[in-house]
Amino acid sequence: MGVPHWEEIQKYGKRGDTIIDLDDALPDVSVEDSYLPKTYCSILKRVTSNAITLAQAGKLHLVLADVGEGKCDGMRYIASFLRELLPIPVVEVRNTNSTGCGFPICQSQLPLRKKVELIVETVSKPLNTSVKLRKTAPSCGFWGVPPSDFALLELFPPNTHIYGWTRCMENKTPANRELELEVDEGVPTVFFSQNFCQRSALAFHLAKKHQGLFVQMDHHLTKSIRAMVEAFIKFNVT
Amino acid sequence: MSEKILIDCGTSYTKIYYINPQYYEVIPSREFRQWKRDLRILMATGYNTWGMGDVQVNELIALAEGGLRLIPEGSFTLLDCGARDVKYITMNEGKIIRMDWNTECGAFAGQVIELLTNYFNINPQDLPPDSEKIPVVCGVLGMTKMFDKIAEGVPYPRAFMGFLKGIAWNCYHLVNKPELLYLSGGLCENQAFLSSFPCQVRPLGRYVLLEGLKSFYENPSRLKPLEETVSKKADCDRNHPL
Repeated sequence: MGVPHWEEIQKYGKRGDTIIDLDDALPDVSVEDSYLPKTYCSILKRVTSNAITLAQAGKLHLVLADVGEGKCDGMRYIASFLRELLPIPVVEVRNTNSTGCGFPICQSQLPLRKKVELIVETVSKPLNTSVKLRKTAPSCGFWGVPPSDFALLELFPPNTHIYGWTRCMENKTPANRELELEVDEGVPTVFFSQNFCQRSALAFHLAKKHQGLFVQMDHHLTKSIRAMVEAFIKFNVT
Repeated sequence: MSEKILIDCGTSYTKIYYINPQYYEVIPSREFRQWKRDLRILMATGYNTWGMGDVQVNELIALAEGGLRLIPEGSFTLLDCGARDVKYITMNEGKIIRMDWNTECGAFAGQVIELLTNYFNINPQDLPPDSEKIPVVCGVLGMTKMFDKIAEGVPYPRAFMGFLKGIAWNCYHLVNKPELLYLSGGLCENQAFLSSFPCQVRPLGRYVLLEGLKSFYENPSRLKPLEETVSKKADCDRNHPL
Protein backbone atom coordinates (compact mmCIF):
# COMPACT_ATOMS: atom_id res chain seq x y z
CA MET A 1 0.00 0.00 0.00
CA GLY A 2 1.40 3.36 -1.02
CA VAL A 3 5.09 3.56 -1.84
CA PRO A 4 7.10 1.74 0.82
CA HIS A 5 10.87 2.05 0.64
CA TRP A 6 12.35 0.16 -2.32
CA GLU A 7 14.67 -1.90 -0.07
CA GLU A 8 11.76 -2.84 2.15
CA ILE A 9 9.77 -4.17 -0.81
CA GLN A 10 12.75 -6.00 -2.27
CA LYS A 11 13.28 -7.79 1.04
CA TYR A 12 10.07 -9.69 0.34
CA GLY A 13 10.70 -9.97 -3.38
CA LYS A 14 14.08 -11.59 -2.82
CA ARG A 15 12.63 -14.33 -0.66
CA GLY A 16 10.32 -15.26 -3.53
CA ASP A 17 7.10 -13.57 -2.46
CA THR A 18 4.70 -12.27 -5.07
CA ILE A 19 4.23 -8.53 -4.65
CA ILE A 20 0.71 -7.20 -5.24
CA ASP A 21 0.10 -3.46 -5.45
CA LEU A 22 -3.09 -3.05 -3.44
CA ASP A 23 -3.60 0.49 -4.76
CA ASP A 24 -4.28 -1.00 -8.20
CA ALA A 25 -7.61 -2.18 -9.57
CA LEU A 26 -7.35 -5.97 -9.29
CA PRO A 27 -9.26 -8.41 -11.47
CA ASP A 28 -12.13 -10.18 -9.70
CA VAL A 29 -12.00 -7.84 -6.71
CA SER A 30 -14.91 -5.41 -6.46
CA VAL A 31 -14.78 -2.32 -4.32
CA GLU A 32 -17.15 -2.75 -1.38
CA ASP A 33 -18.80 0.28 0.18
CA SER A 34 -19.28 -1.41 3.54
CA TYR A 35 -15.76 -0.88 4.90
CA LEU A 36 -15.56 2.91 4.69
CA PRO A 37 -17.93 5.87 4.53
CA LYS A 38 -19.56 6.49 1.17
CA THR A 39 -17.94 9.90 0.86
CA TYR A 40 -14.33 8.77 0.99
CA CYS A 41 -11.31 8.54 -1.28
CA SER A 42 -11.88 6.00 -4.07
CA ILE A 43 -8.27 4.87 -3.98
CA LEU A 44 -8.40 4.10 -0.26
CA LYS A 45 -11.72 2.30 -0.71
CA ARG A 46 -10.07 0.18 -3.35
CA VAL A 47 -6.98 -0.50 -1.20
CA THR A 48 -9.18 -1.57 1.69
CA SER A 49 -11.41 -3.82 -0.42
CA ASN A 50 -8.41 -5.40 -2.09
CA ALA A 51 -6.72 -6.16 1.21
CA ILE A 52 -9.80 -7.60 2.90
CA THR A 53 -10.99 -9.61 -0.12
CA LEU A 54 -7.59 -11.15 -0.85
CA ALA A 55 -6.83 -11.86 2.80
CA GLN A 56 -10.23 -13.54 3.29
CA ALA A 57 -9.57 -15.67 0.19
CA GLY A 58 -6.19 -16.73 1.56
CA LYS A 59 -4.39 -15.00 -1.30
CA LEU A 60 -2.62 -12.41 0.84
CA HIS A 61 -0.17 -13.24 3.60
CA LEU A 62 1.18 -9.87 4.68
CA VAL A 63 0.31 -6.22 4.14
CA LEU A 64 3.12 -3.69 3.83
CA ALA A 65 1.53 -0.28 4.31
CA ASP A 66 3.21 3.08 3.92
CA VAL A 67 1.53 5.15 6.60
CA GLY A 68 3.94 8.06 6.62
CA GLU A 69 3.84 11.50 5.06
CA GLY A 70 4.53 9.89 1.72
CA LYS A 71 1.00 8.48 1.66
CA CYS A 72 -1.79 10.12 3.68
CA ASP A 73 -3.58 10.25 7.01
CA GLY A 74 -6.32 8.05 5.59
CA MET A 75 -3.91 5.20 5.00
CA ARG A 76 -2.60 5.46 8.55
CA TYR A 77 -6.11 5.22 10.01
CA ILE A 78 -7.09 2.39 7.69
CA ALA A 79 -3.94 0.43 8.54
CA SER A 80 -4.80 0.75 12.20
CA PHE A 81 -8.13 -1.04 11.77
CA LEU A 82 -6.88 -3.50 9.14
CA ARG A 83 -4.63 -4.89 11.86
CA GLU A 84 -7.79 -5.80 13.75
CA LEU A 85 -9.77 -7.04 10.76
CA LEU A 86 -7.20 -9.11 8.92
CA PRO A 87 -5.89 -12.50 10.02
CA ILE A 88 -2.45 -11.58 8.60
CA PRO A 89 0.30 -9.20 9.70
CA VAL A 90 -0.06 -5.54 8.71
CA VAL A 91 3.40 -4.00 8.71
CA GLU A 92 3.37 -0.23 8.95
CA VAL A 93 6.33 1.55 7.36
CA ARG A 94 7.24 5.16 6.70
CA ASN A 95 9.15 5.92 3.54
CA THR A 96 11.26 8.96 4.34
CA ASN A 97 13.76 8.40 1.56
CA SER A 98 15.12 11.71 0.35
CA THR A 99 17.59 10.40 -2.20
CA GLY A 100 15.96 10.89 -5.53
CA CYS A 101 16.61 8.42 -8.31
CA GLY A 102 15.31 10.75 -11.03
CA PHE A 103 12.10 10.85 -13.04
CA PRO A 104 12.88 10.07 -16.67
CA ILE A 105 9.48 8.47 -17.27
CA CYS A 106 7.70 11.70 -16.28
CA GLN A 107 9.65 13.70 -18.88
CA SER A 108 9.65 11.10 -21.62
CA GLN A 109 7.97 10.82 -25.01
CA LEU A 110 5.56 8.11 -23.88
CA PRO A 111 1.79 8.76 -23.80
CA LEU A 112 0.66 9.95 -20.39
CA ARG A 113 -1.32 6.83 -19.54
CA LYS A 114 1.67 4.60 -20.36
CA LYS A 115 3.91 6.78 -18.22
CA VAL A 116 1.67 6.48 -15.18
CA GLU A 117 1.25 2.73 -15.70
CA LEU A 118 5.03 2.34 -15.77
CA ILE A 119 5.50 4.47 -12.67
CA VAL A 120 2.94 2.39 -10.79
CA GLU A 121 4.56 -0.86 -11.98
CA THR A 122 8.03 0.27 -10.95
CA VAL A 123 7.03 0.83 -7.33
CA SER A 124 7.96 -2.80 -6.72
CA LYS A 125 10.01 -3.87 -9.72
CA PRO A 126 12.70 -2.31 -11.92
CA LEU A 127 11.84 -0.70 -15.24
CA ASN A 128 11.94 -3.19 -18.08
CA THR A 129 15.11 -2.59 -20.07
CA SER A 130 13.15 -2.80 -23.32
CA VAL A 131 11.45 0.52 -22.50
CA LYS A 132 13.33 3.30 -24.26
CA LEU A 133 12.88 6.75 -22.80
CA ARG A 134 13.66 9.99 -24.60
CA LYS A 135 13.49 13.31 -22.77
CA THR A 136 11.04 15.81 -24.25
CA ALA A 137 10.07 19.44 -23.76
CA PRO A 138 6.72 19.68 -21.93
CA SER A 139 3.67 20.61 -23.99
CA CYS A 140 1.29 20.26 -21.05
CA GLY A 141 1.44 19.13 -17.42
CA PHE A 142 -0.39 16.61 -15.29
CA TRP A 143 -0.01 17.20 -11.55
CA GLY A 144 -1.35 14.77 -9.00
CA VAL A 145 -1.70 11.18 -7.95
CA PRO A 146 -2.42 8.26 -10.28
CA PRO A 147 -6.18 8.65 -10.80
CA SER A 148 -8.73 5.98 -9.96
CA ASP A 149 -9.71 5.94 -13.64
CA PHE A 150 -6.76 6.04 -16.06
CA ALA A 151 -9.12 7.08 -18.89
CA LEU A 152 -8.49 10.62 -17.65
CA LEU A 153 -4.88 10.32 -18.76
CA GLU A 154 -5.85 9.53 -22.34
CA LEU A 155 -7.13 13.07 -22.86
CA PHE A 156 -3.68 14.63 -22.68
CA PRO A 157 -1.52 15.56 -25.67
CA PRO A 158 1.88 14.07 -26.51
CA ASN A 159 4.78 15.20 -24.36
CA THR A 160 2.66 15.89 -21.30
CA HIS A 161 5.00 15.92 -18.32
CA ILE A 162 4.10 14.56 -14.91
CA TYR A 163 4.40 16.57 -11.70
CA GLY A 164 3.20 16.20 -8.15
CA TRP A 165 3.05 12.98 -6.17
CA THR A 166 3.23 10.73 -9.22
CA ARG A 167 6.62 12.25 -10.01
CA CYS A 168 7.65 11.74 -6.39
CA MET A 169 6.66 8.08 -6.84
CA GLU A 170 9.00 7.65 -9.77
CA ASN A 171 11.73 9.50 -7.87
CA LYS A 172 11.20 7.04 -4.97
CA THR A 173 10.75 10.00 -2.62
CA PRO A 174 7.00 9.98 -1.93
CA ALA A 175 7.33 12.33 1.04
CA ASN A 176 9.31 14.99 -0.82
CA ARG A 177 6.95 17.94 -0.53
CA GLU A 178 9.31 20.39 -2.24
CA LEU A 179 9.34 18.23 -5.35
CA GLU A 180 5.59 17.80 -5.14
CA LEU A 181 5.11 21.58 -5.15
CA GLU A 182 7.36 22.20 -8.13
CA VAL A 183 6.00 22.65 -11.64
CA ASP A 184 7.50 24.13 -14.80
CA GLU A 185 6.45 27.77 -15.11
CA GLY A 186 4.46 28.54 -18.21
CA VAL A 187 3.45 24.95 -18.93
CA PRO A 188 -0.37 24.64 -19.01
CA THR A 189 -1.02 22.16 -16.24
CA VAL A 190 -4.01 20.21 -14.98
CA PHE A 191 -3.93 19.89 -11.20
CA PHE A 192 -5.77 16.73 -10.32
CA SER A 193 -6.89 15.22 -7.06
CA GLN A 194 -9.20 12.45 -6.04
CA ASN A 195 -12.42 13.56 -4.38
CA PHE A 196 -12.15 13.60 -0.59
CA CYS A 197 -8.33 13.66 -0.71
CA GLN A 198 -6.47 16.16 1.47
CA ARG A 199 -4.21 16.89 -1.50
CA SER A 200 -7.16 18.74 -3.03
CA ALA A 201 -6.11 21.78 -1.02
CA LEU A 202 -2.68 21.75 -2.63
CA ALA A 203 -4.06 21.06 -6.10
CA PHE A 204 -6.55 23.91 -5.76
CA HIS A 205 -3.91 26.33 -4.53
CA LEU A 206 -1.37 25.42 -7.19
CA ALA A 207 -3.96 25.64 -9.96
CA LYS A 208 -4.75 29.21 -8.93
CA LYS A 209 -1.09 30.10 -8.53
CA HIS A 210 -0.08 28.76 -11.93
CA GLN A 211 -3.34 29.52 -13.82
CA GLY A 212 -3.87 25.83 -14.34
CA LEU A 213 -7.01 23.75 -14.25
CA PHE A 214 -8.13 22.18 -10.98
CA VAL A 215 -10.11 18.98 -11.42
CA GLN A 216 -11.36 16.39 -8.99
CA MET A 217 -12.63 12.95 -9.80
CA ASP A 218 -14.26 10.18 -7.81
CA HIS A 219 -14.52 6.66 -9.26
CA HIS A 220 -14.72 7.33 -12.97
CA LEU A 221 -14.09 9.96 -15.58
CA THR A 222 -17.32 11.89 -16.07
CA LYS A 223 -18.57 13.83 -19.04
CA SER A 224 -18.04 17.18 -17.33
CA ILE A 225 -14.46 16.39 -16.25
CA ARG A 226 -13.67 15.16 -19.74
CA ALA A 227 -15.13 18.35 -21.21
CA MET A 228 -13.14 20.59 -18.86
CA VAL A 229 -9.84 18.87 -19.58
CA GLU A 230 -10.50 18.87 -23.32
CA ALA A 231 -11.42 22.56 -23.27
CA PHE A 232 -8.35 23.47 -21.21
CA ILE A 233 -6.09 21.63 -23.63
CA LYS A 234 -7.89 23.07 -26.66
CA PHE A 235 -7.48 26.68 -25.64
CA ASN A 236 -4.33 26.66 -23.51
CA VAL A 237 -1.96 24.20 -25.15
CA THR A 238 -0.34 25.61 -28.26
CA MET B 1 -30.62 16.58 -51.08
CA SER B 2 -29.84 16.74 -47.36
CA GLU B 3 -30.18 20.03 -45.55
CA LYS B 4 -26.86 20.78 -43.84
CA ILE B 5 -27.15 21.94 -40.27
CA LEU B 6 -25.23 22.61 -37.07
CA ILE B 7 -27.07 21.77 -33.86
CA ASP B 8 -26.93 22.47 -30.15
CA CYS B 9 -29.10 19.67 -28.83
CA GLY B 10 -29.93 20.64 -25.26
CA THR B 11 -32.06 18.88 -22.66
CA SER B 12 -35.19 20.89 -23.43
CA TYR B 13 -34.55 22.57 -26.76
CA THR B 14 -32.53 21.94 -29.88
CA LYS B 15 -31.06 25.01 -31.48
CA ILE B 16 -30.45 24.57 -35.21
CA TYR B 17 -28.41 26.60 -37.67
CA TYR B 18 -29.14 25.92 -41.34
CA ILE B 19 -26.16 26.38 -43.62
CA ASN B 20 -27.97 27.27 -46.84
CA PRO B 21 -30.03 29.37 -46.66
CA GLN B 22 -28.74 30.63 -43.34
CA TYR B 23 -31.25 30.80 -40.54
CA TYR B 24 -31.86 29.60 -36.98
CA GLU B 25 -34.61 27.48 -35.56
CA VAL B 26 -35.43 26.35 -32.03
CA ILE B 27 -37.58 23.29 -31.41
CA PRO B 28 -38.18 21.03 -28.40
CA SER B 29 -35.52 18.31 -28.33
CA ARG B 30 -38.15 15.58 -28.03
CA GLU B 31 -39.57 16.70 -31.37
CA PHE B 32 -36.20 16.95 -33.05
CA ARG B 33 -35.55 13.29 -32.34
CA GLN B 34 -38.71 12.37 -34.21
CA TRP B 35 -38.08 14.52 -37.25
CA LYS B 36 -38.19 12.63 -40.52
CA ARG B 37 -36.52 15.40 -42.51
CA ASP B 38 -33.46 14.66 -44.60
CA LEU B 39 -30.79 16.39 -42.55
CA ARG B 40 -27.02 16.20 -42.56
CA ILE B 41 -25.74 17.25 -39.14
CA LEU B 42 -22.25 18.56 -39.79
CA MET B 43 -21.44 19.48 -36.22
CA ALA B 44 -23.24 18.85 -32.96
CA THR B 45 -22.92 19.91 -29.37
CA GLY B 46 -25.18 19.59 -26.35
CA TYR B 47 -26.31 17.14 -23.71
CA ASN B 48 -28.70 15.29 -26.01
CA THR B 49 -26.28 14.89 -28.90
CA TRP B 50 -25.82 11.15 -28.31
CA GLY B 51 -23.42 10.50 -31.15
CA MET B 52 -25.25 12.65 -33.70
CA GLY B 53 -23.29 14.62 -36.26
CA ASP B 54 -20.12 14.17 -38.28
CA VAL B 55 -18.19 16.10 -35.65
CA GLN B 56 -19.12 16.38 -32.00
CA VAL B 57 -17.81 19.28 -29.95
CA ASN B 58 -18.14 19.31 -26.20
CA GLU B 59 -20.27 22.06 -24.71
CA LEU B 60 -17.50 23.91 -22.91
CA ILE B 61 -15.42 24.16 -26.05
CA ALA B 62 -18.42 25.34 -28.06
CA LEU B 63 -19.26 27.86 -25.33
CA ALA B 64 -15.71 29.25 -25.17
CA GLU B 65 -15.40 29.46 -28.94
CA GLY B 66 -18.81 31.13 -29.19
CA GLY B 67 -17.74 33.63 -26.54
CA LEU B 68 -14.56 34.47 -28.42
CA ARG B 69 -16.64 35.04 -31.55
CA LEU B 70 -19.31 37.23 -29.96
CA ILE B 71 -17.51 39.15 -27.22
CA PRO B 72 -15.16 41.91 -28.36
CA GLU B 73 -13.00 41.82 -25.23
CA GLY B 74 -10.44 39.00 -25.10
CA SER B 75 -11.04 38.57 -21.39
CA PHE B 76 -14.49 37.75 -20.07
CA THR B 77 -16.63 35.48 -17.95
CA LEU B 78 -19.40 33.70 -19.81
CA LEU B 79 -22.09 31.67 -18.07
CA ASP B 80 -24.41 29.28 -19.84
CA CYS B 81 -27.50 28.64 -17.76
CA GLY B 82 -29.14 25.67 -19.39
CA ALA B 83 -32.19 23.59 -18.69
CA ARG B 84 -30.40 20.97 -16.60
CA ASP B 85 -27.03 22.43 -15.72
CA VAL B 86 -24.87 25.49 -15.37
CA LYS B 87 -21.42 25.91 -16.88
CA TYR B 88 -19.05 28.81 -17.30
CA ILE B 89 -15.67 29.78 -18.61
CA THR B 90 -13.43 32.71 -17.75
CA MET B 91 -11.05 33.60 -20.53
CA ASN B 92 -8.01 35.82 -20.48
CA GLU B 93 -6.59 36.76 -23.86
CA GLY B 94 -7.95 33.65 -25.52
CA LYS B 95 -6.90 31.22 -22.79
CA ILE B 96 -9.19 29.61 -20.24
CA ILE B 97 -8.18 30.57 -16.73
CA ARG B 98 -11.23 29.19 -14.91
CA MET B 99 -14.19 27.03 -15.75
CA ASP B 100 -16.66 24.71 -14.18
CA TRP B 101 -19.59 22.63 -15.19
CA ASN B 102 -21.93 22.35 -12.31
CA THR B 103 -24.14 19.42 -13.18
CA GLU B 104 -25.38 19.01 -9.63
CA CYS B 105 -26.19 22.28 -7.85
CA GLY B 106 -27.42 23.95 -11.03
CA ALA B 107 -29.43 20.89 -11.91
CA PHE B 108 -32.59 21.63 -13.82
CA ALA B 109 -32.36 25.33 -13.01
CA GLY B 110 -33.47 26.56 -16.40
CA GLN B 111 -36.06 23.87 -16.82
CA VAL B 112 -37.54 24.48 -13.38
CA ILE B 113 -37.77 28.21 -14.07
CA GLU B 114 -39.62 27.54 -17.31
CA LEU B 115 -41.93 25.03 -15.66
CA LEU B 116 -42.74 27.44 -12.84
CA THR B 117 -43.30 30.34 -15.21
CA ASN B 118 -45.84 28.24 -17.08
CA TYR B 119 -47.35 26.83 -13.88
CA PHE B 120 -47.92 30.28 -12.41
CA ASN B 121 -48.90 31.58 -15.85
CA ILE B 122 -46.89 34.70 -15.10
CA ASN B 123 -44.91 37.14 -17.19
CA PRO B 124 -41.39 37.42 -15.70
CA GLN B 125 -41.53 41.18 -16.28
CA ASP B 126 -44.38 41.41 -13.79
CA LEU B 127 -42.40 39.92 -10.89
CA PRO B 128 -41.69 42.30 -7.98
CA PRO B 129 -37.97 43.20 -8.17
CA ASP B 130 -37.67 43.93 -4.43
CA SER B 131 -38.45 40.34 -3.40
CA GLU B 132 -36.20 38.75 -0.83
CA LYS B 133 -33.77 36.10 -2.11
CA ILE B 134 -34.61 32.49 -1.21
CA PRO B 135 -31.49 30.42 -0.50
CA VAL B 136 -31.59 27.48 -2.92
CA VAL B 137 -29.27 24.52 -3.40
CA CYS B 138 -30.50 23.66 -6.89
CA GLY B 139 -33.59 24.16 -8.99
CA VAL B 140 -35.40 21.16 -7.56
CA LEU B 141 -34.63 21.71 -3.88
CA GLY B 142 -35.16 25.45 -4.31
CA MET B 143 -38.66 24.80 -5.54
CA THR B 144 -39.64 23.21 -2.21
CA LYS B 145 -38.33 26.28 -0.37
CA MET B 146 -40.37 28.50 -2.64
CA PHE B 147 -43.57 26.56 -2.01
CA ASP B 148 -42.84 26.70 1.72
CA LYS B 149 -42.85 30.50 1.40
CA ILE B 150 -46.15 30.43 -0.49
CA ALA B 151 -47.61 28.20 2.23
CA GLU B 152 -46.48 30.79 4.77
CA GLY B 153 -48.55 33.38 2.94
CA VAL B 154 -45.97 35.04 0.68
CA PRO B 155 -47.64 35.97 -2.65
CA TYR B 156 -46.49 33.59 -5.35
CA PRO B 157 -44.98 36.28 -7.65
CA ARG B 158 -42.84 37.45 -4.74
CA ALA B 159 -41.83 33.88 -3.81
CA PHE B 160 -40.99 33.07 -7.42
CA MET B 161 -38.87 36.19 -7.75
CA GLY B 162 -37.05 35.21 -4.55
CA PHE B 163 -36.41 31.80 -6.10
CA LEU B 164 -34.96 33.42 -9.23
CA LYS B 165 -32.70 35.56 -7.07
CA GLY B 166 -31.51 32.44 -5.25
CA ILE B 167 -30.60 30.73 -8.53
CA ALA B 168 -28.86 33.89 -9.77
CA TRP B 169 -26.96 34.19 -6.49
CA ASN B 170 -25.66 30.61 -6.86
CA CYS B 171 -24.58 31.31 -10.44
CA TYR B 172 -22.87 34.56 -9.44
CA HIS B 173 -20.82 32.79 -6.77
CA LEU B 174 -20.04 29.85 -9.04
CA VAL B 175 -18.41 32.22 -11.54
CA ASN B 176 -16.34 34.01 -8.85
CA LYS B 177 -18.37 37.20 -8.60
CA PRO B 178 -17.29 39.16 -11.69
CA GLU B 179 -18.25 42.81 -12.20
CA LEU B 180 -19.50 41.99 -15.69
CA LEU B 181 -21.05 38.68 -16.63
CA TYR B 182 -21.99 37.53 -20.11
CA LEU B 183 -24.95 35.18 -20.13
CA SER B 184 -25.86 32.46 -22.62
CA GLY B 185 -28.97 30.33 -22.89
CA GLY B 186 -32.73 30.62 -23.04
CA LEU B 187 -32.85 32.53 -19.75
CA CYS B 188 -31.35 35.51 -21.55
CA GLU B 189 -34.92 36.30 -22.55
CA ASN B 190 -36.10 36.33 -18.93
CA GLN B 191 -35.74 39.94 -17.73
CA ALA B 192 -36.57 39.03 -14.15
CA PHE B 193 -33.70 36.53 -14.08
CA LEU B 194 -31.29 39.03 -15.63
CA SER B 195 -32.18 41.62 -13.02
CA SER B 196 -31.66 39.07 -10.21
CA PHE B 197 -27.86 39.14 -10.52
CA PRO B 198 -25.92 41.43 -8.18
CA CYS B 199 -23.61 42.40 -11.08
CA GLN B 200 -23.87 43.79 -14.59
CA VAL B 201 -25.22 41.14 -16.98
CA ARG B 202 -25.00 41.19 -20.78
CA PRO B 203 -27.25 38.57 -22.39
CA LEU B 204 -25.89 36.98 -25.55
CA GLY B 205 -28.93 34.87 -26.35
CA ARG B 206 -29.40 31.17 -26.85
CA TYR B 207 -27.19 30.63 -29.90
CA VAL B 208 -23.76 31.09 -28.28
CA LEU B 209 -22.80 27.41 -28.57
CA LEU B 210 -24.02 27.40 -32.18
CA GLU B 211 -21.79 30.43 -32.84
CA GLY B 212 -18.92 28.33 -31.53
CA LEU B 213 -19.80 25.56 -33.99
CA LYS B 214 -20.05 28.11 -36.80
CA SER B 215 -16.57 29.34 -35.96
CA PHE B 216 -15.19 25.79 -36.17
CA TYR B 217 -17.11 25.14 -39.38
CA GLU B 218 -15.70 28.26 -40.99
CA ASN B 219 -12.19 27.68 -39.63
CA PRO B 220 -11.60 23.93 -39.31
CA SER B 221 -8.04 24.56 -38.11
CA ARG B 222 -9.58 26.05 -34.94
CA LEU B 223 -10.56 22.53 -33.93
CA LYS B 224 -6.93 21.59 -33.41
CA PRO B 225 -5.53 20.04 -31.25
CA LEU B 226 -8.75 18.09 -30.86
CA GLU B 227 -8.43 16.75 -34.38
CA GLU B 228 -7.53 13.31 -33.12
CA THR B 229 -10.61 13.08 -30.96
CA VAL B 230 -13.24 14.23 -33.46
CA SER B 231 -14.64 12.26 -36.30
CA LYS B 232 -12.86 12.60 -39.62
CA LYS B 233 -16.09 12.11 -41.53
CA ALA B 234 -16.65 15.84 -41.83
CA ASP B 235 -13.46 16.52 -43.74
CA CYS B 236 -15.33 16.58 -47.01
CA ASP B 237 -17.65 19.30 -45.76
CA ARG B 238 -15.26 21.56 -43.96
CA ASN B 239 -14.50 23.57 -47.08
CA HIS B 240 -18.12 24.09 -47.87
CA PRO B 241 -18.67 27.88 -48.08
CA LEU B 242 -21.19 29.35 -45.72
